[in-house]
Amino acid sequence: MRRIPWRVAPLLLRLAPALALLTGAATRAQADEAFITEQSGGGVSVVDLVARKTIARIEVGGKPAGIAMSKDGATAFVTSTEGKFVTLIDAASRRISGRIDMPDTPLGVAADPAGRFLYVSGFYQPRIYKIDLEARAIVATAEVGASPSGVAVSPDGGLIVVADRDDDAVSILDASSFQSIAKVKTGAHPFGVTIDAKGARAYTANVESNDISVIDLKARALIGTVPVGKRPYVVALAGGRGFSSDQYGGTVSAFDLETLQPIGRVSVGEYPEGLQASADGSVLYVVDWFSNDVQAIDPKTLKVTAKIEVGDGPRSFGLFLRETR
Amino acid sequence: MARSLLTSALCGAALIACAAGAALAHGPTRQKVTESVEINAPPDKVWAVIGNFQDMSWHPAIQKTTGEGGNTPDVAKRQLDLGNGATIDEELYKYSAEDHSYSYRIDKVDVKVLPVNNYSSTLEVKAEDDGKKSLVEWHGAFYRGYPNNDPPPELSDEAAKTAVTGVYKAGLEALKKKLEATN
Repeated sequence: MRRIPWRVAPLLLRLAPALALLTGAATRAQADEAFITEQSGGGVSVVDLVARKTIARIEVGGKPAGIAMSKDGATAFVTSTEGKFVTLIDAASRRISGRIDMPDTPLGVAADPAGRFLYVSGFYQPRIYKIDLEARAIVATAEVGASPSGVAVSPDGGLIVVADRDDDAVSILDASSFQSIAKVKTGAHPFGVTIDAKGARAYTANVESNDISVIDLKARALIGTVPVGKRPYVVALAGGRGFSSDQYGGTVSAFDLETLQPIGRVSVGEYPEGLQASADGSVLYVVDWFSNDVQAIDPKTLKVTAKIEVGDGPRSFGLFLRETR
Repeated sequence: MARSLLTSALCGAALIACAAGAALAHGPTRQKVTESVEINAPPDKVWAVIGNFQDMSWHPAIQKTTGEGGNTPDVAKRQLDLGNGATIDEELYKYSAEDHSYSYRIDKVDVKVLPVNNYSSTLEVKAEDDGKKSLVEWHGAFYRGYPNNDPPPELSDEAAKTAVTGVYKAGLEALKKKLEATN
């Protein structure tokens, strides 16, 4: 069941199997579980990505939608849009370990890599909230643009980027001062926002302009726009490529991160939303809201390699994959 | 009652995302509805009746369809006239004669006509029984008519689902009757 790591270059391609043999589990960087928020069903399903089936279900309630995973995979954080709370799930035991009430409808959520803070967008006010995970309380609040949706944190934990959907922009905040330090215009109605592993760029999926905005985080400027399928919601990155989940298109679009040119599209289920690559970049997982499934895609060949049924109305808006070893 | 049912049915048939949805925030819980009917007629025959985006005359709630752009995705638009001044403006975004499927969204509808926002829908004919019969599936995704928290009952999630379900059922039942009568 071991998957070959993402083959970046021919050299790596040849070396990879040998490395895998030599180092064994150390190269098994693949995420082994997906936590699926089922907004209509009210729960979170845990999908074993090797066995390709749901192995646990956690009743969360309040219409769960957004999700973040702690860097160590120990805790999943789930926003319930109607219940107006964030649920903390102990990922290994599948037990709810805490619940934090929110003053507004929470949607996007992102976890600080150091594990100390959680950032949650409040859709109507519109604000972003900083939660201290030790105190399990909101410790700071910042005003952002209209209808803040997706939230991402830079790998060093220093920056927070929020997609201000109805402002056609992102807000960039300094994590420690929790002040907005820049606003960058994007395409129309950015929803999901993704920061790359180097913390160099942020990508937004723009629902109404059917494109991806590419933002340089140092320059705090828009540096490119990539056309994708219809109604893109979320961007994922793997092996030098970017991907979007296109809700009306029923596709995942691929584009080259260097040239920012489209590469191709693959048909998935209906109304795909949650989209994330495994840690080693070898598999993309897309969550299909209408058709109630999770599909695995080979990011290189753009072929669907597996389809796993889940509960009703799955979204997993955010980072939902967890490595188990 | 008759009018509201009719207008509801009409709206539903027309479909998709409201223009109002573009300007307003919508509640974060999107709803979905799927209705289907088995028809004792081959898919080509069913598609011949429903496959033209510019003709919704098979739906009993629609009095008139006017539009332009034929069946070309992102170009084709139509206005469904439900009578009594109720209309729904829709736009085609996916069309496959080969797959017997098209998808559209509502550009503009009064929530009094159909209590939804951001509505999109797909109508599809699938072959059954070796192509001797058809399964017509109609599904929609939408937000309720009230875009913020605490909706009044007539603009709730339930009201939106009930209205869309009514439109789909009325259309599919009429389609079945029409096709099986001429078989």
